[in-house]
Amino acid sequence: MSDKPLNRGPHDIGGEAAGPIDTTDHGMKFWERQANALRSTLGANGITCVDELRRAAEDLGDEYRGLQYFEITTRALRTVLLEKSIFSEEELKAKMAEIRARFNVPDEMESPIKAKAR
Amino acid sequence: MSNPNFDYYARAKQEHGHDHNHDHDDHAPVNEHDNGPPSDYEIMSRAMQELLEEKGLITAEQVRRRMELFDEEFPYRGSRVIARAWTDPAFKARLLADGRAACAEMDIVLESERLIAVENTPDVHNVIVCTLCSCYPRALLGMPPTWYKSRNYRSRVVFEPRTVLHEFGTVLPDHVTVRVHDSNADMRYVVIPMRPEGTEGWSEEQLAEILTRDALVGVTVPRIGR
Amino acid sequence: MAASAKPERQSFTSSYTPAPGHRYDVGDRVVVKRAFPPGHRRTPYYIRGKQGVIERICGAFPNPEELAYGFSGKPEKTLYRVRFPQQDVWPRYAGPAHDIIEMEIFEHWLEPASAESPPVKGQTP
Repeated sequence: MSDKPLNRGPHDIGGEAAGPIDTTDHGMKFWERQANALRSTLGANGITCVDELRRAAEDLGDEYRGLQYFEITTRALRTVLLEKSIFSEEELKAKMAEIRARFNVPDEMESPIKAKAR
Repeated sequence: MSNPNFDYYARAKQEHGHDHNHDHDDHAPVNEHDNGPPSDYEIMSRAMQELLEEKGLITAEQVRRRMELFDEEFPYRGSRVIARAWTDPAFKARLLADGRAACAEMDIVLESERLIAVENTPDVHNVIVCTLCSCYPRALLGMPPTWYKSRNYRSRVVFEPRTVLHEFGTVLPDHVTVRVHDSNADMRYVVIPMRPEGTEGWSEEQLAEILTRDALVGVTVPRIGR
Repeated sequence: MAASAKPERQSFTSSYTPAPGHRYDVGDRVVVKRAFPPGHRRTPYYIRGKQGVIERICGAFPNPEELAYGFSGKPEKTLYRVRFPQQDVWPRYAGPAHDIIEMEIFEHWLEPASAESPPVKGQTP
């Protein structure tokens, strides 16, 4: 077994050693501002609560460390909306395919596009 | 390759009643769209939004309105509130007693946020973090900057705050107590910095100019003529 | 909404939910439970088992450990702010002894400090 502390979530990082801080604000991409506004609207409309979204983010486990902030929140939102049966996985897949087609983006989860967009 | 559909995201620049100084170098530039094709996460987010709109649970207008609040309203509130606290001791006392109610006096509605204002003095310096996620007084300061959400800041400022503050250019003598606030539950925090010498007689608007976001989180202190 | 507009002075009432009851008062010494249950918890790992002092009573709030799983969070739990000396939290804290750290801890995560629970100096989970 590893020496990983018992039930310590990937988000619970206070006290860990880490590198120097980049004190520049790099701002937000447009889609991140939109995703943030979406999350905020869902809270205001009483559809999701922040605690559920945090829990779903923490449940990403080892994946959490490798993802950026709005990637984590987007994944968490997906989890919570699926749990609430607001849409099904099939509906989401179909809608994502529709949007990819609209943007002329190849339907590949690990396409070079992802690297390029960073 | 350029994508002809990409201006899907374009939106008209909204005329807003505020006379904000958009030269504010404290805030990162705001773009109207991203360069390059959308990432997988962007597509996922967009797809969820469209499904929610189709199901009548949200409207595109609601999302747009919230985006405007986050871009054009929230980031400019905190400096106004603290400038008022600097010029009006009775207001400062009310802000320290109940941050949310004091903000409401200025027609600043913090929605669900409960605000605790913490005051810097010659003996105490306050700094705010959320180690568990990135809790932040968004309705008062806007979205947190990149570093506030970073692993390095969240991990370190709780156990080596003086080293972290030094990285922001803030050096505190040993006799000053560093008071770290881990914003880990239902409260949100804002720092009332010390008003610098040489600002006597300044208007609230002038004072707000030197009240940068970083100073309101406590990683820097306000300076004249940065 | 201009900063120069002078709004009418509104009646001043606290926006905080008054705590229905509270086990601890400001100044009481408490110990954060040294417990490591699974699930969504807002008590950071690094503070569990540490001793501090109640700094203020924030009020009563829905329990986030229940909200996180779609429940109502009722009955609400009393939330405190607790102050800890940094040197008690971090064994190798390099700053002066008067440096402090504060955070919010729900009542069900706190126990009274007593002779049987001396300061947990230098202990890591």
